Amino acid sequence: MNWGRRVALPLAALLLAGLGAARERAPAGAEAAQVALGRRLFYDADLSLDGSMACATCHVQRHGFADSTRTRAGVTGEPGRRNVPGLANVGRRASLTWGDATLRTLEAQALVPLQGEHPVEMGMKGQDGELARRLGANGCYVRLFRAGFPEVDGRIDMATVTRALGTFQRSLLSADAPVDRARGNDTAGTRLFRRHCAACHSGPDMTDDRFHRVDGIHAADRGLGEISGRARDDGRFRTPSLRNVAVSAPYFHDGAGPTLADAIRRHRGLRLDEEEVTALVDHLGGFTDPTFLADPRFAYPDGPCEAG
Amino acid sequence: MLLPLLPALLLMAAMNDPAGAAAPAADCAAAPAALPDELAGWTGATLLEAATDADAAAATLLIGTAVDLQLKPTPQVAYPVRPERPGGSVSHGGIVRFSVAQAGVYRVALDSGVWIDVVADGQRLASVAHGHGPDCSGIRKMVDFRLESGTYLLEIAGSGTPAVRVMVASVPAA
Repeated sequence: MNWGRRVALPLAALLLAGLGAARERAPAGAEAAQVALGRRLFYDADLSLDGSMACATCHVQRHGFADSTRTRAGVTGEPGRRNVPGLANVGRRASLTWGDATLRTLEAQALVPLQGEHPVEMGMKGQDGELARRLGANGCYVRLFRAGFPEVDGRIDMATVTRALGTFQRSLLSADAPVDRARGNDTAGTRLFRRHCAACHSGPDMTDDRFHRVDGIHAADRGLGEISGRARDDGRFRTPSLRNVAVSAPYFHDGAGPTLADAIRRHRGLRLDEEEVTALVDHLGGFTDPTFLADPRFAYPDGPCEAG
Repeated sequence: MLLPLLPALLLMAAMNDPAGAAAPAADCAAAPAALPDELAGWTGATLLEAATDADAAAATLLIGTAVDLQLKPTPQVAYPVRPERPGGSVSHGGIVRFSVAQAGVYRVALDSGVWIDVVADGQRLASVAHGHGPDCSGIRKMVDFRLESGTYLLEIAGSGTPAVRVMVASVPAA
């Protein structure tokens, strides 16, 4: 995934130039249209080469928009490389992938699964015209692109597609987990979390968005070092958000931890007995936001087109 | 354990997942898989045309018999229940019917990670287990359902290829 970034970033910058800064907000009506459009695109497998894979194929709402498999093969059958991260509050993330500190916008990140080649995921590199053809054949999309992007006359291209996907993802807000209502609780799990985890799993989403080495270095995946080229970054991966972590197994960048207990034990240097691991796992269960997992605004868009 | 005769099979969560990570073993020509009895029909597939709507009488699967199912372009398929993952306009899909004479656990085996739903009375049924087949069997994905006697529709959606091999097998009780 990260090697694809070397191509995707400059391309993303070019594509987004016509739309202004990626994080500049659209007028309210246009932004609402972008959210609706982005949601439809997120669930649309026409964003993949053979129509078999949507963003939602890997980012599954009931799993906090993470995946239930270790890694996932792309449209060409090439095995996936890293575990799919959840998307709750992803608009607040300062870093967006397991091993790339330079990928800073959801618009640029979207190009990695869409067009990346290491590995191929959705296989749309060089398919911009085909994507525009597919989406342009759908009247609802045509109306939504017009409503969402009046400044470019509803142009359908990779820039507007990724912008809409980004706007939808920024609407994926989660704030109704037990931990959101009981920050002051004092249980064994809470105390263990504060003592052993909260230095990195910090803030409202339990991540510092920084890159740490909590496990050994593996040649198959150097993590941050792969992009930075610095040996000292080998084995460093982004601290994942722990929102909805109890429903997003398996864990770690390689998905090699089938349970939360496995994931906890994989933190090198963390010495906990079984009772403490169990208490910590119980505490992590309090990070699940059932409202978010079932929010119909984020689900497959079964309703009529939002643009008349 | 719902998949008792396949120790190599990876059990995952009880839902219908494409099992995208499944990969064939390296040297399958040298060591073809020995299939358990209930999957013995996997290797003798015949051709079958998928139906495009719920009137799937001509597209009937027999339990224990594999077919190479010829799918239709997704826009031509009118699924009675919208698949959980419908597939894009350039993908392929289709519908087949199968009947169960005796209540029990039934396994849908496929040679791809394509999405499937089993439908009865206008409702998707929840699967009870899923995983992939034995190494070198050619079975990439297996999904188990607990079914009563009756007739069911199998919806296949979002295939990147115009044909898939599929079989429904009865799983022996443990």
